[in-house]
Amino acid sequence: MNVLFVMEYRANAGNTHALTNYARVGAELGHNFALYGEPEPSAPDLPFSTDVHAFDRVIFLFESKLYVPKRLQEVSLLARFPREHRYILDADGKFNPLIVVDGYDRNYSSEDERAEWLSFYGALTDHIIKPTLATSEDTPATTLPFFGFNPAQVLPPEAAPPKKYDILHVGHNWWRWKEVAGELLPAFEQIRSQVGEIGFLGLWWDAMPEWAKHEDLEPAFRVETEAFRRLNIRAEPPVPYTEVIRTMSTGRVNIFTQRPFLAHVKHLTLRYFEEFCADTIPLLMLDQDLAAAVYGPAGRELTLPGRVADKILDALQRPEHYRGLVEEVRRYMLVHHPYRRRVEELVAALADGSASPAPLLRTEG
Amino acid sequence: MKLLLVTGVDPWMRSVSTVHRYAAAGRALGHEVAVYGETNPELPGLPFTTDLAGVDLALFIVQIPDDLPDMPYLARLLDGIPRERRIVVDLWGRFNDTIRLDHDFNHLEKLDGHLASDWVEAFKAISGTILQPTLEPLRPDVQPFLFHGFDPDCVAGKSATAREAAAAWREATHEEKPYGFVYVGSNWHRWQQVRRFLEQYAPVRARVGKACLIGWDWAERPGWTIENGIAGIDTDPAFLSELDVDLYQGVRFDEVTGLLGKGRFAPVFHRPLFRHLGYVTNRTFETFCADSLPVLMLPRDFVTAIYGTAALKLVPGDDVAKHLTDALDNPQDYWDAVLQTREHLARHHSFARRFDELERLRSGSAS
Repeated sequence: MNVLFVMEYRANAGNTHALTNYARVGAELGHNFALYGEPEPSAPDLPFSTDVHAFDRVIFLFESKLYVPKRLQEVSLLARFPREHRYILDADGKFNPLIVVDGYDRNYSSEDERAEWLSFYGALTDHIIKPTLATSEDTPATTLPFFGFNPAQVLPPEAAPPKKYDILHVGHNWWRWKEVAGELLPAFEQIRSQVGEIGFLGLWWDAMPEWAKHEDLEPAFRVETEAFRRLNIRAEPPVPYTEVIRTMSTGRVNIFTQRPFLAHVKHLTLRYFEEFCADTIPLLMLDQDLAAAVYGPAGRELTLPGRVADKILDALQRPEHYRGLVEEVRRYMLVHHPYRRRVEELVAALADGSASPAPLLRTEG
Repeated sequence: MKLLLVTGVDPWMRSVSTVHRYAAAGRALGHEVAVYGETNPELPGLPFTTDLAGVDLALFIVQIPDDLPDMPYLARLLDGIPRERRIVVDLWGRFNDTIRLDHDFNHLEKLDGHLASDWVEAFKAISGTILQPTLEPLRPDVQPFLFHGFDPDCVAGKSATAREAAAAWREATHEEKPYGFVYVGSNWHRWQQVRRFLEQYAPVRARVGKACLIGWDWAERPGWTIENGIAGIDTDPAFLSELDVDLYQGVRFDEVTGLLGKGRFAPVFHRPLFRHLGYVTNRTFETFCADSLPVLMLPRDFVTAIYGTAALKLVPGDDVAKHLTDALDNPQDYWDAVLQTREHLARHHSFARRFDELERLRSGSAS
């Protein structure tokens, strides 16, 4: 099958890395995956195409905004793919009611905004895919894990860069602050004298973007510069997706956080799997059941909530034990989450249209 | 026929006037005509709709990318109306290889982000029927359809005879006609022609009267054209000042005919691209609705083909000054040409004729 993704290309954010895996594994299985657009020098391993006639299906992968190509290209795309061959991958959980988690993180700022998104979705297609392990019984959309594990991307210790950080967090400051301020920083206060460098790599850890206030997104980007200064935490810029795994490998421990809303709706993300490709010990800000569901039994032992300080110190003091857990998780993911399986699941859903027609105005229960 | 017009409508520019004529003429002829989209309070005379049920023909009237609707309207439109009931009217020559004439162009990526191939592929994706407002399209897969037309009901200051028209024109007071000539149109690749016209008019300015240019960017070259290195939107403020030319910004479409009538003459210029393609524009016809003598700064063979032979009297050739003074001396001859031309336009370029052509095209597409 020939599948064209339409997504805003960002080298240092979003789901680009996942698409490179679809392209690579898809080719091995006789499928053709590409991202709509002209080739990008910063994405040497990602095929791009604007030849809409070379594809059978199109997947619009929406993240935090309703990205569309330029108008004439949009016309060619929509005219080429009939409605039944268009799919939406709802990466940021927009195909849900307006949900506010912990009085803080939310998928929409208002019902009006939600209506705008659903109107857009409804005009485009009936086929919505949610990237989650949850079954489709409680949702009108099709669910697929979508993201996967690529063992070829695992960085062996001998090829890893020198460790610069004891604790590293790689990801943008996007709906993370409550978790960071509420759990991580207090834990760092307790153990600061016992650990080396701490780093947060990504956008907006040093300052909120100017436009955030205008778009009513101040809570999404909140920073506590004083706490970072006091705890001697380094806020560093983001790295391109091609460098993410290598960069994570500069930390002895990597802390994985997921924005609360996406955790609430049980969405998987790319980072769930990238963390375990790096030469590091991933420690997870996930609840134990979810960690076990994704990573297998070993996942439980890598979770942080309620024991952040102890767990970090333990991981730094007993790295061999934790490396064993990481290996166990990798073996589990090799069986349950290889990209080969992800490609087959996606192709099967696209082939029979089982990415089911979704009554767009129905809300999740 | 239930006709859906798909285009961006802006009261200040492009083809909004012709779109109004389609709505009015269609209604008079028993057709149901509406513009696709939400109601625009600035255009109370236009019916808008998002109801696609029963549409016989969707006419995509395209000049710029934004003439095509955005989401979610775009998907609803393409999914709701089958390809064989869609037709593209290519008003700016997009469905051609890239053309460069002087500084004029039909594609410019740095202006709107689109390459020639984007235009061609998008038009083909919309429809198998592509129309251009010229009698002789360059491409074999394009059909001629002039789109714009002449509405005799819109003629201002109707006179039954050339003698009456000439008398009224000659006797008009300064308040009624404060200008020698008025040109209404934006400075988009027309400066060279306008400058040449002004240079030739200059020696007879005292007799003809003041000049007036109404439209965007006559006073100064806009900053964005300088920043983006887009040539062809030039002007010469010192030269215009020396000739004491009055300059006004663009006006709403429904003020154009009245403003043209504020001058004794109303020149018609077509941008270089359109001259090359033999395109007509709204102003090609609308100028003949004004209470003014049109001055056709257009090729003679084009004038004959569109306006009829009587209109050749309104073509000054290379001696604009002589043409203008001769018209002042012998206005009846010129008004006779105008009235004959109006008859020709009413006979050959009415909106009823355009609807007949669309009906034939619709039958052809359906079959």
